[in-house]
This record gives sequence, structure tokens and C-alpha cells, in this order.
Amino acid sequence: MAVATESLLVARGARAGLNALLAPDAAEWEKAPELVALLVPTPLEDQPSAYVQAAWARRHRGDVREVKVRSLIGKDGLAVRLVWAAANPQRRIDDWNVYADGCAVLFPADGKSAEISTMGSARKAVEGWFWRAGTELPFQVTATGLGTVDRAGEHGVRARAQWDEGCWQVVLGRALDAGGVRLAAGGRVPVGFAVWCGAAKERAGLKSYTPAWCELRLGETGASKR
Amino acid sequence: MSPAKKVATKGSTKKVLAKKAAAKKSAAPAPARSVAKRESAAKPASRAGARAAARTRPGGAPKHQFAMVLDLNKCLGCQTCTIACKTQWTRGPGMEPMWWNIVSTIPGRGTPRDAFELGGGYRDGKPVPGELPGKREWGEAWEFDYEDVFGSKYGSSYLKPREQDGGAPEWGPNWDEDMGGGEYPHSHFFYLPLLCMNCSEPACMEACPRDTIYRRDEDGIILIDEDRCHGYRFCAEACPYKRIYFNEQRVVAQKCISCYPRLEEGAAPACVRQCPGRLRHVGYVDDPDSAIFKLVHKWKVALPLRPDFEVLPNVYYIPPTLPTAFDENGAFDEEASRMPTEQLEQLFGPGVNKAFATIEKERAKAHAGRRSELMDILIARSWNDLLGPFTVDPGELERPPQR
Repeated sequence: MAVATESLLVARGARAGLNALLAPDAAEWEKAPELVALLVPTPLEDQPSAYVQAAWARRHRGDVREVKVRSLIGKDGLAVRLVWAAANPQRRIDDWNVYADGCAVLFPADGKSAEISTMGSARKAVEGWFWRAGTELPFQVTATGLGTVDRAGEHGVRARAQWDEGCWQVVLGRALDAGGVRLAAGGRVPVGFAVWCGAAKERAGLKSYTPAWCELRLGETGASKR
Repeated sequence: MSPAKKVATKGSTKKVLAKKAAAKKSAAPAPARSVAKRESAAKPASRAGARAAARTRPGGAPKHQFAMVLDLNKCLGCQTCTIACKTQWTRGPGMEPMWWNIVSTIPGRGTPRDAFELGGGYRDGKPVPGELPGKREWGEAWEFDYEDVFGSKYGSSYLKPREQDGGAPEWGPNWDEDMGGGEYPHSHFFYLPLLCMNCSEPACMEACPRDTIYRRDEDGIILIDEDRCHGYRFCAEACPYKRIYFNEQRVVAQKCISCYPRLEEGAAPACVRQCPGRLRHVGYVDDPDSAIFKLVHKWKVALPLRPDFEVLPNVYYIPPTLPTAFDENGAFDEEASRMPTEQLEQLFGPGVNKAFATIEKERAKAHAGRRSELMDILIARSWNDLLGPFTVDPGELERPPQR
């Protein structure tokens, strides 16, 4: 099936290991193809809380409208880098009315299909890698519908982030053979992205996201390159 | 793990005491046991189920409803209840600024500042957007200059509080205690203890998109499942009484748990037992033999706070019969209150004048030497009469291991 170039993300093979690729400014990132993923605010009417619907009916949200994504497949894992503009970054939760910036990479849990707008369904789960500013470790989450996100206790997802010149650069990655959605060199998997703007008090289902799956094509791992 | 969680998961207290306590009350619903089992049974199976539990029924109401009545005529403002709660529940990491129970002064702006003006609750059945103020509006856990006062010869002569960043605090719990209201000689104030109201229409519960908050089927107590909570804080915005705190370190919402692990052993909540003024009654509001039922439904002198919030709280207050006003000659004007009636009506609803009339009538009856059931309940000559079915001495219970 042909995939529109505006939704195709190619994970280029890299010689470095995952740990090196987690650096947002690693030189390898310059060679990776870039996908500019367009984001939209999540539909307010779908929020699973009458309070949230009422409270946010007149509040500003969904400011982040695009995220630049690149992916590399190193000798021991896959890394995805997200870059987006954040003029007023919220780097941590340091007060009770402060919400940190965040981002996520989402996959159908079976690696094939699931509903992205509803965060999966009872029959088709989604799996996500979720990074929140100010936390050392990202979360690996699964969901079977809105409001059902569960965090895995132990997982192999790692992240590193930096904010520079008005932009967040966040790299999320995982070893290919770590638990979770099947990621194999040479394979394809649907992928989606989401960004939370803490300055706009976005959290939970209030975010900007890709309303349709993109396609992630995994190249050969750096280790298998000749 | 918070102290609340410690107790909730321990399962090692003396069940026999609870059984004895339960056996004492024939008509009253017995304190429930088996925390873990009950919690899992009480959790709604689905989001739709949770919404229905919160907003609808007959058929969905809890089997019994735990409730509290606070007689504001007796409150000393001593904050012993506050400290009892603090000592029992909020000493864990990230809980330093938390006062699940706090006594505010009325007139006053409350805790957090302007607590009742921050939205939340419902209006005509629709959720009202709320605000969650920053921690300085609640009052941080202050530091004090102990070394300067006690450690140096020419240091400060009194303790001065400092915010965590060294700045001088500008608000805190019961910050405006000394303010009061009214012009001399009509100066007036009273104390208003506040805690989770275990509402029958809990705005917090409906606000949570994750079904993290649930109402226990056996006693209607509202709890936050901290293992599910992701710290989104919609609940704290939606609570019109602003009784939900945020644990910044653990990124979870936390609030008064009505001392449910004590209730399950037949012991009253810490704030109730520690109250020197004996102003707190506890029990089940659906038990017609209980003092709670009689104060709320029979005598109708116990009123909900801010009924205009439309959350149907299960903490009720006997409104304060403040001193009478003075007339132009400086004599007591028995017909006028120092505190404008409209202010009391705003706090306790339109039933406040009728409640006052009932209290006056029954008080006169007692003064005349006749028996008044209402006065007997309010005076509570026997301490245990305040405690409903929860008369077990917590000192006799086995304490959970410290972790």
C-alpha cells in the first residue's frame, strides 16, 4: 500500500548504540529523514469527563500544531526524536497549578491496527512511550480506550531531552527485543505522536496529536550494515 | 507509600474489637471490615458505571452513608482536629503542606485563599469550571528561624516563618484568623472546620477522566486510588470546597480519607476523637436512630455548607448562634444578629433561620427544666454519644508496622 510521504517516517540505520542515539544532538540525527507530523487538538467532546468538557470549552488548548520527527535504528535499539516549538517551556511540576510539557510516541499494541483517536479499544490496545518534562524515566503505557491509560511497572523505554532555542528535543527509544510492541529491522509499524503543552495546562487527554497513523519503516540495524 | 496507603493495606488490626463494636449497635449499620476486598468491590466496573454512581439513582446510592455533624457553637478554633489529622495521615513525602482537615475563620477568605470563590461543583446540574491555586495560596510548609531565636544571644526574639525559598509567607492555613468581620460593637467571627465532605454528588469523582476516585458502596466514603492517579488535578479544580491537595513529589491527588481504616475497626476518626470541644458527631445519616439522622432529618438543625454548590455534602453544620447585636442605646437587641443573616444563609442555605428558631425553642425548653432531645444530643453529656457506632478506643488497636 502506498503511503503518503507526509505520513512516512523512515528509521535510518545507524552504527551507534541506543545510548548514544538518545542524545538529541547526536550527529547521526542530521542524516535521518525528517517527517513533519501535523497535529490537531484532541476533540473536546470525546473527553471522558463532563467536568473537563465544561471547564475547557472556553480555554485555549492545542497550540502545538506540528512536530518534527526523525528515527534511527541503532545496533541495539530504535530511537525516535521529536522536536517542537515551546516558547514557554514547563520543565517540571514545581507547583500545584503547574503542568509539565510532554510528548508521546504511540503504536497499535499488535503492531498492526488500532483506533488512534480513542487511544485504542477494548479489543485493540495501543502502546505508548510517554515522556514528561522533569521526570528521569519515561513511561511505557498501554490503553484500551480514552481514560484507560496504564503504566507498565518495568519496561525498557528510555528518554533524554533538552530544551534549546525555543524548542524541545526529546528522544525516546527502546531495545528492539525489549517487551512491548514488536519492532523488527526491516519491518513496518503504524505510529502516532502527541504533544502536551504545560503552559496551556494540557494534561491527560488534552493534547495535540496526529489524528491518523503515520507509518514507521524500520531500516536495517546499524549492526547488520556492511 | 503514604500513611493512608500503609494502613489501607495492612490487614493486621484486631478484628475482634470491631466485631464487639459492631455487635453493640443493633439498628445501626456495622462498621465494615476487610479493606482490600471492599475497596475492589466498591470500584465501579466502568467509566459509565462511575458516572452513574455519581450522578444518578435510586438503586445506585451506597448501602449506608457515613456522615458528620459539626456543632459550630462549640468550636474553639484550637486546631486540635487539624493536628490530629496531620499526625495520623500527612507526614509522608510531599505531604508537608497538606492539612486534610483545617479550621478556617468566618468571615475570612479561607484555605486556600478565597477557597469558596474558585469554582467547582455544579450550577443547575452542570459542572462549574474551577481553578486550582498554587501552593503559596494554600500555605507552604514553612521553615522557622529557630537558630536565630534559640541559638544566638542577640537574635530574633520571636519565631518568623519563611517560605521554602526564604521569602516571607503571604498566605497560609487559617491565615486571616484575627480578622473577623463587622464594625465595633458588632464585631463577629466563628470557626469553620473543613474536611472532605464525602458528597453524594461528588464533583471530584465526575471530573476525573480515569475513574481514579470512587465512592465506597458500604459507607459512601469517597477515596482516591493513588495507584491509578496520574496527578491531573481535575478533581482538585472541581471540588468547590477545595479540599483536595496535590502531592508534588508523588504526582498524585490526596485528601481526607475519613479515617476509614479506623472506622473499619470501629474507631472514630482522629479529628472526632481528639476534639476538645466535643463538637463532632459521626454516624450513618441513613440510620434513623442515629444522632446524625436526628440532627439532619428530624430536627433539621444540621445544614450542608454552601448548598448552592449542588454537591450534596455529607458533612453538616449546626450554624453558630452568634451573640445578638446592640441597639443604639448599647443594650442587646434580641431581634438582630451581629452577623448579617444573608451571610449565614449564603453559607448554610435558606434553612438557617428555621434551624435557629428550632434551637432557640428547644433551648428555652431545656432552660425551663423540660426534656429536649435536641439539646441532649447537642450537649452530648456522654462522650460516646458523639461517636455513633465508632466507640472503639483506637489506643487498643494494634498499630500497623512503621515502614
